[in-house]
Formats: sequence, structure tokens, C-alpha cells
Amino acid sequence: MDNRSQPGEAGVFHVIDGDRPLDWERVYREHVTSIYRLLYHKVGNQHDAEDLTSQVFLEALPRLRASASGGEIHMYLVTTARTVLAGHWRQRLGVQVTEIDENLVMAAESQSPPADPLPRIRRILAMLPANYRRVLELRFLERCSVGETATRMGISAGNARVVQYRALQRAAELGQEVGA
Amino acid sequence: MNRRIRRVSRWIDDLLHDRSPRCFRGAEDDTDVLAAAIELQGASPSAGLPDPQFVESLRQRIARETQGEVPRAPRVSRRTLLASGGFAAATAAAGIIVGERFSGPSTRQNELQPVGATWTAVALVSEVPEGMARTFDTGSVRGFVVNRGGAITALSGVCTHLGCLLQLNAAARRLDCPCHSAAFGFDGSVLFKHMPDSLPPLPLMESRIRDGNIEVLTV
Repeated sequence: MDNRSQPGEAGVFHVIDGDRPLDWERVYREHVTSIYRLLYHKVGNQHDAEDLTSQVFLEALPRLRASASGGEIHMYLVTTARTVLAGHWRQRLGVQVTEIDENLVMAAESQSPPADPLPRIRRILAMLPANYRRVLELRFLERCSVGETATRMGISAGNARVVQYRALQRAAELGQEVGA
Repeated sequence: MNRRIRRVSRWIDDLLHDRSPRCFRGAEDDTDVLAAAIELQGASPSAGLPDPQFVESLRQRIARETQGEVPRAPRVSRRTLLASGGFAAATAAAGIIVGERFSGPSTRQNELQPVGATWTAVALVSEVPEGMARTFDTGSVRGFVVNRGGAITALSGVCTHLGCLLQLNAAARRLDCPCHSAAFGFDGSVLFKHMPDSLPPLPLMESRIRDGNIEVLTV
């Protein structure tokens, strides 16, 4: 895809081929949910997901060709999201905690809906030892605080944090084994 | 080690509250743990659809920063949503966005009106006795026709949370979402949900009765 933008009138989207203006509002409406979801699953919180979604659209929309197909537009947005996410982690922690797989960028052209993450999460949880599973269920599914989690498990708060840490380490290993 | 575990736990607290997590020194040694926590956050209610207020404010920001004016076209937004591919996502999103922008104080529920749509017969009136519902699938749209006290209406068949396809639970007279154990009544209202955030009701679809057929306006 030709991503170069050309100088145009102030305040008007640069259209690379032809005079047809880009229906940016349609593009935005069609893709904002999928880009937000994609980024949420890579940063795990609404604040950052919204921030990065904004960056993606503000960067990508002025560069889109009006004649691009829906698949091409989606692929370009996912590519932009990949770059924006990499920048986010570089700036925050100096290390890339999560990334958007290059294969996903390629698959984006087909615009298939994102897979439901829950079956994989359930599979990973089911493979964990009981106390590890319990701590993660309480924290991430029932959204309990550390204190509530500790009370419900009958352990100290400090202990709950340790079990949570070990459980996440094991979940990360299982995630590798389970695959995508 | 204890300090490290406490820092990771605080980082997770931020995630669970949908805040941007605070950076901490040594995080590079725990990227696998942080990534696992992020993956588990996929079960969070806010992992599904973006906040309608955010969607609208970003739309205005794009308009401001790139075009110099804010286009005024709520109807167009709804239409383009419905005209776009991926009906599940469109319906789910429309359920929220339309709800935010169109529902007056007395209208609890929204109606989907696709553009360039045609009336499609989806069931015979005789097939949907009082108090019952029936699933229909036109290829582009999946939903339910329900008969409540002799009044027949059509409901979207897509959960307003993550866009999962609902299943008719005739025995319990409800529409079940298999993804998060949520259920809607035959009037589209939420009966129960296993998520802390609010779940919008199912949008109504425009329907009519012609020659003993229930017809739904579909794309």
C-alpha cells in the first residue's frame, strides 16, 4: 500500500489517487471496535487501549487512500497499531511485553473477526494447580482485591500476592504450551 | 523478591481498575508475568466494546484535527455501521452507540434500521405461538422473532457484550449468551450477567406481518 501523503488543502484528508475524498467517518466507525479490542488485549487496560486507539486513527486516517479496499484499510490500521504498541512499551518499560504478531497483520486483510479469548483463558486456568487457578479466578474473573482474595482463600495478603505471582508465571508457561 | 512481587501486584491492581499501570524498575525481568496478566484481562468487561463516549470523543477529535469541522450525522453513523461488514460487531456496537445517542427518556431499547434493506420473511406467524420465540438466520442477519402477548417483535441475535451469537433457551424463555453466561428476556432486557459492567439490552429489529409471514428488514 502506498502510505505517502501528499500536501493538500489545510484540514482536508490527503487523497493519493483521484479526487474522491476518503469517507473517514465510515472507516472509523467500521474499524474502531476491532482496533480497540486488538489493543486492549495487548495492554490489558482501558486507559492505554483508548490512548493507543486514538494514536492509530490519528496517524493512519490521513494516509489512507480513498480507493483502498476494506481489507487493505484494516491491514494498514493493524500495521499502524503494531508500531504504536511497540512505541508504547519502549517508552513505558523499555521492553516489549506484548506485540501484534506479523501473521495477524497479514491475516488482517481477510478482516476475520478476532477470536474470542475466553476459551484459551479457560483452558490455561483449567491446567493450573487448584490454588493457582483459584487466585487468578478471584483476581481476574471475580475482580477481587488482594485483601478479598486472601480472605476468601484463607491466607495472608502477602501470601496471596506470592501465589498470584507464581500462578502467573505458570500461566505464562502454559500459554506457551497451549499455543495461540 | 518480596518487593518485586508487591510491585507486580500493584501493576495488576492498575490493570484491574482499567488504569494505565505504573512503570516499575526491574519490570523487564517479569515480562512473562505481566503478559500473562494482560492476557487474563481479556476476560474483563471493558475488553469487549469501546466506551461509546470514547468512540464519540475520538470521532470529534479526528474531525477537529483532520477536517476542521465536526460532521453532524448520527443517522449516517448508524447506517454506515449497519452497512459495514461483520454484522455481529456492527449490531453489538450499534446497540451501545445508538443507545447512547438516540434513546429518549422513554425508549429503553433501540431499533436497527439497515439502509438499502429489504423485507425478508423469516417465519410464519403460526410458527411463533404466544410466549414463544424462534431463531431466524437470513445469511446476513441472525435474530429471534418473539411473540409476547400476541405482539410479534424481532430482536438482534447478537450479544451486546462481545458479539457472541445468542442461543434460544425455549424452556426458560430467554436468550442465552454462551460466552459470559448472560441472558436476555424475550423483550430484549438483560435477565442476568456475569460481568460487573452494564450490558445494553438487545436492539429491536424492524419487523412487520404480511400474509401470515413475519418479515424483518435486513440488508
